[in-house]
Amino acid sequence: MTAGTGGAPAAGPQAGGGAAGGGAGGGVAPGTGAAGGFAAGTAAAGAGDRIVFDDVSKFYGEVLGVNRVRLSIPPGITGLVGPNGSGKTTLMNLMVGLLRPSRGSVRVLGMATDRPEQLFRRVGYATQYDAFPPGLTGYQLIESLLRVHGYDPRQADALAWRALERVGMVEAGGRKVAAYSKGMRQRVKLAQAIAHQPSVLVLDEPLNGLDPMARAELIALLRELAGAGLWVVVSSHILHEVDLISDQVVMLNGGYVVAEGDIVGVRDEMEEQHPAQVLIRCDRPDLLAARAFAQDHVVEARMLADRSGLLLRTRDAARFYQMLNRVVVDEGLTVESVAPADADVEAVYQYLIDAEPGNGGRS
Amino acid sequence: MNGQAQDAAAAGSPLRPAPPLPAGPLPDGAPAAGPLPDAAPARGVAGSDHGGAPWALWRRQLGAVARLELRKSFLGKRALGLYLLAMAPPAVFALRAMLPRAIADPGNLGDATLLMAELYQGFILRVVVFLGCVAIFGNLVRREVLDRSLHFYFLTPLRRELLVLAKYLTGLAVSLTLFGASTLASFFLAYLPYDARLRAGFLLHGPGLAHLGAYLLVTALACAGYGAAFLALGFFFRSPAIPALALFGWEAIHFLLPPVLKQVSVIHYLQALCPVPLSQGPFALLADAPSTWVSICGLLALTVVLVAVSTLRIRRMEISYLDD
Repeated sequence: MTAGTGGAPAAGPQAGGGAAGGGAGGGVAPGTGAAGGFAAGTAAAGAGDRIVFDDVSKFYGEVLGVNRVRLSIPPGITGLVGPNGSGKTTLMNLMVGLLRPSRGSVRVLGMATDRPEQLFRRVGYATQYDAFPPGLTGYQLIESLLRVHGYDPRQADALAWRALERVGMVEAGGRKVAAYSKGMRQRVKLAQAIAHQPSVLVLDEPLNGLDPMARAELIALLRELAGAGLWVVVSSHILHEVDLISDQVVMLNGGYVVAEGDIVGVRDEMEEQHPAQVLIRCDRPDLLAARAFAQDHVVEARMLADRSGLLLRTRDAARFYQMLNRVVVDEGLTVESVAPADADVEAVYQYLIDAEPGNGGRS
Repeated sequence: MNGQAQDAAAAGSPLRPAPPLPAGPLPDGAPAAGPLPDAAPARGVAGSDHGGAPWALWRRQLGAVARLELRKSFLGKRALGLYLLAMAPPAVFALRAMLPRAIADPGNLGDATLLMAELYQGFILRVVVFLGCVAIFGNLVRREVLDRSLHFYFLTPLRRELLVLAKYLTGLAVSLTLFGASTLASFFLAYLPYDARLRAGFLLHGPGLAHLGAYLLVTALACAGYGAAFLALGFFFRSPAIPALALFGWEAIHFLLPPVLKQVSVIHYLQALCPVPLSQGPFALLADAPSTWVSICGLLALTVVLVAVSTLRIRRMEISYLDD
């Protein structure tokens, strides 16, 4: 697992030189230092069963889209996370060939992205563009595009209804897309993306405009698809959504990948610069605090205002949990709950970009 | 009920597992889509991934694009102006046929022939067909860029060259149908007020059908040539209307151009194919008319080159919609 765009294994906001232009968001070092399944890789590594970005840069004239991106994305749900303008959409458009890299190359399961006739047999993409061909119903849109894929009328009809059913749009399928609400348009875009049963599903901000129930249902659907072995790449600027959805994350800022991997792994690598915070609710927080302060890795222990527990900061969470177990066994401490307080994407992202905010890429 | 709740209610049902698709043999070249397990990836398409030209697939894709283009661009309210434009010439002749004393001598078919020639070259060809082709072909790609829906095609396993060809052929079919019918109706309405016996003789035993065939040929070549030009302009200009206006002006002053420059105007070759030559006026610079075969082959070659330019252009096209 790696944080960074390549080069030295990154450790946190202060590590390494970051990317050019000072926009590496927290100065995570460039490089490929790999230590896990989702490590940045080279084009050669597992190119046939991964989505590989090999030193990819994209510039819109003078404006940076993304720069020096090295990624190797395995099956499962991968979240692209970053603020607006961080390069998420650029990365996705590069992935499906809507954009061509200014430098480097992108291969999706071994396929070049400039061969749509091959690529879109296995790739489905729901863009963030909220526009549709005029005058069509949801069903007509999907069925017509399936016919463009080459399906015969009977199969296109069956696949279109199947896709609409999967996104809960069967009853609205006969209505004009122009009359749909934002949430319904999101669903029909998703239906269009999954209708031909792709292996790779790329979804740009798919949760936008969905009500909470629809979000939960969509997340369940994405998990189901990922469980079936699909590559599902999802972008969002809402960090906790990505936290909920993703098996692994790619964090972007200002056009640079500032971290990637599973979120716990990213967090672990940052322990030296940003000690992990653990919230413990127990019956004798003062006892626990006394024991904790005897440990050299605990840098802070703060009593909660209602004295029902402690907020601890430690540079070695594993040793802290061992110590906690000993206290429970030896002292009879009753623990109500133990939870990491800053191991979510939002906290990690904040740590990464705090030192150097983004520098004007675009999404 | 808030908007989001309305979404859920309107959509009617939650996301759910998919039912099985009907199984059955696939036609030649069809993508596998039948009884795959839920979420299973679709398999490839015969032909396209294995070398060789998948003609059956390409034919189906051409048909599918044409069907979609017709549905969204030519069968809705958007196309109303186009229909009105195509109906204008027959309406003029119909009005003339209905007006009392509009026909000075019902026994003189020469008047009708001259009027048809003038109206065809001055209005149908230069205005109706020209502007109609701007509207049809200039918008085939450009409008989809402007309304941000072109990517739907780009996200299908369709060769982009094939997309351009399919769009062009659809536009050509629509323009040929509309303006061919307009030319046909105008021709018959032009002769309608005249003596029936003379009219029948002109059509069946005289040059009538040859004239009609020539007008239809010129209309077809105009649609093909102008269509290819405006399709290509759609790739190079944010608004094809501006270069179209420049081309309109160039074609309009064609009669004033020296012989060398006349050869780079489309109307020069189209006029040479018209059955009734007309005076270009006292200020016209005269030039030898090209031969029939030079005109036909030249216009077809121009069409092929311009469509090829469009296919090359779309192959390199990126979708960001940021510049539009």
